Amino acid sequence: MKPIIKVANISKQFRITPGESPSVRYETLRESLVKLARSPFARIRHNGRGDDTIWALKDVNFEVMPGEVMGIIGPNGAGKSTLLKVLSRIIEPTTGRVDLYGRVASLLEVGTGFHPDLSGRENVYLNGAILGMKHREIDARFDEIVAFAEVERFIDTAVKHYSSGMYLRLAFAVAAHLDPEILIVDEVLAVGDASFQKKCLRKMDDVTRSGRTVLLVTHSLAMVRQLCRRAILFNEGRIAKTGPTDDVLACYDQMCNLPHLTAQVK
Amino acid sequence: MISTTGEKVEAVPVMQKVNDEASEAVNILPSLMYDLPEKPIVTIEPHKSWVPLNLRDLWACRELLYFLMLRDIKVRYKQTVLGAAWAVIQPLVTMIIFTYFFGKLARMPTEGVPTPIFFYTAVLLWTFFSNGVTNGANSLVGNSNLITKVYFPRLIIPSAAVGAGLLDFAIASVLLVGLLVYYGFSVTWAYLLLLPLILLTTLLALGVGIWFSALNVKYRDVRYALPFLIQVWFFVSPIIYPSSLVPEEWRWFPALNPLTGIIESFRATLFGREVPWLALAYSAAFTLVMLVYSSYAFRRMERSFAELI
Repeated sequence: MKPIIKVANISKQFRITPGESPSVRYETLRESLVKLARSPFARIRHNGRGDDTIWALKDVNFEVMPGEVMGIIGPNGAGKSTLLKVLSRIIEPTTGRVDLYGRVASLLEVGTGFHPDLSGRENVYLNGAILGMKHREIDARFDEIVAFAEVERFIDTAVKHYSSGMYLRLAFAVAAHLDPEILIVDEVLAVGDASFQKKCLRKMDDVTRSGRTVLLVTHSLAMVRQLCRRAILFNEGRIAKTGPTDDVLACYDQMCNLPHLTAQVK
Repeated sequence: MISTTGEKVEAVPVMQKVNDEASEAVNILPSLMYDLPEKPIVTIEPHKSWVPLNLRDLWACRELLYFLMLRDIKVRYKQTVLGAAWAVIQPLVTMIIFTYFFGKLARMPTEGVPTPIFFYTAVLLWTFFSNGVTNGANSLVGNSNLITKVYFPRLIIPSAAVGAGLLDFAIASVLLVGLLVYYGFSVTWAYLLLLPLILLTTLLALGVGIWFSALNVKYRDVRYALPFLIQVWFFVSPIIYPSSLVPEEWRWFPALNPLTGIIESFRATLFGREVPWLALAYSAAFTLVMLVYSSYAFRRMERSFAELI
């Protein structure tokens, strides 16, 4: 079977400005010009880039088969979100290549693009368009989305008046009705109160059973155990282990020295 | 679906129903037999310096452009009492001030055209252009939440910001029509030139706005330098004075300004005068080059937006 996602030697390097937070910061024109003037001397002072870069991802290789639900787990800062951003074309990799043989929809955050002054209805259309749905697709699913979110009465009021629960439910409802071949989800699954969380999980279950390919990043090991057959363990920008979920969870266990984690699951 | 080479490709999902019980017991993948396309739909790899414009992607996202424009327009007038009337008030008040100070007090020559309408025509175009450039330049930074979380061609963002100004322009032109009627100007065949002129102004605002928006992500100076630049541009454009006011030996300087040709042609069309074709041709050429250049420059800077914003 041919893979639907092929990731080959993906690496991503970030530049750190010493003394500042570890992310690329913007600079003023003056600073750029000064740097440019200094550049012939800078190279003599410290060879090339030196210590102020970090490899957020290094030599990541894996394949995902169509219909597979792949979990991605790992400690914070391991590079999971960076990988998802590369796969979602938000960040460009430094080296490597990804081949995607299906349409991708990325859920890195619920409620992307929601504007507080617009009504629920307007935000559903806006958010849907941002996530890649066509106007008529949203038209067709509008009632389902609103019913799923349980906000029928308030759909025409501005979302700044919604409670945080209503807001999250509506945002998740739009995202849950996406119809891509490949779905990439980053830790946004269980939102809202307990009954809605159950609804979300059931919906995710439906999505995974319908044969879509799903890449799921989560810290909830219970969710990985329930939804994913295979998983990838990330650590410090590299893949530590790929394989069936139980094996990977066991490896993660060892890594964290927290034996009660896998025992607690389901 | 469209593959990377541009051919239409089918991905046909054929479901094979797997018994739930069996799947729990045996632990097999629910198999969805895809006819995967031969070539990948999307390939992600680091780009070399010049990145293609990818107009096809842009066209595919035209609905998003429409929704973002709609969003900008709706949000602008939500919870206001006067609503869309604000679109007329700004140029109207400017016109009144100019008519009094430059027309009556300073006695600026207006080539025989009544002062209010002389100013209003230019103010109308200028308001649209300057708002378009300013909103366009700030659009990427203002939409940072979208840029870091979702993928779509980023060119859509400044385009939506500039396009949203078209509605304000349309509302403000109603007053222009009123003024034309009041001063007794009649519609001539030359009025056909108006639409291309408006299009040209939009494209110029787009070209400048796109370039500044990309620069703004990396160099935040732009946000502070731009109002100053706009002010200077205002005085180099024949808004409060006709081009003929400038002495011969200095006329080459405002002639470099693409807006000069556009504004003078706009006035000439409306008042039944001779259209300065040479200046207009220069403006069109400048606009085209600016648009193409800034689009490519934008695409090249685009790859680091999510990291810098």
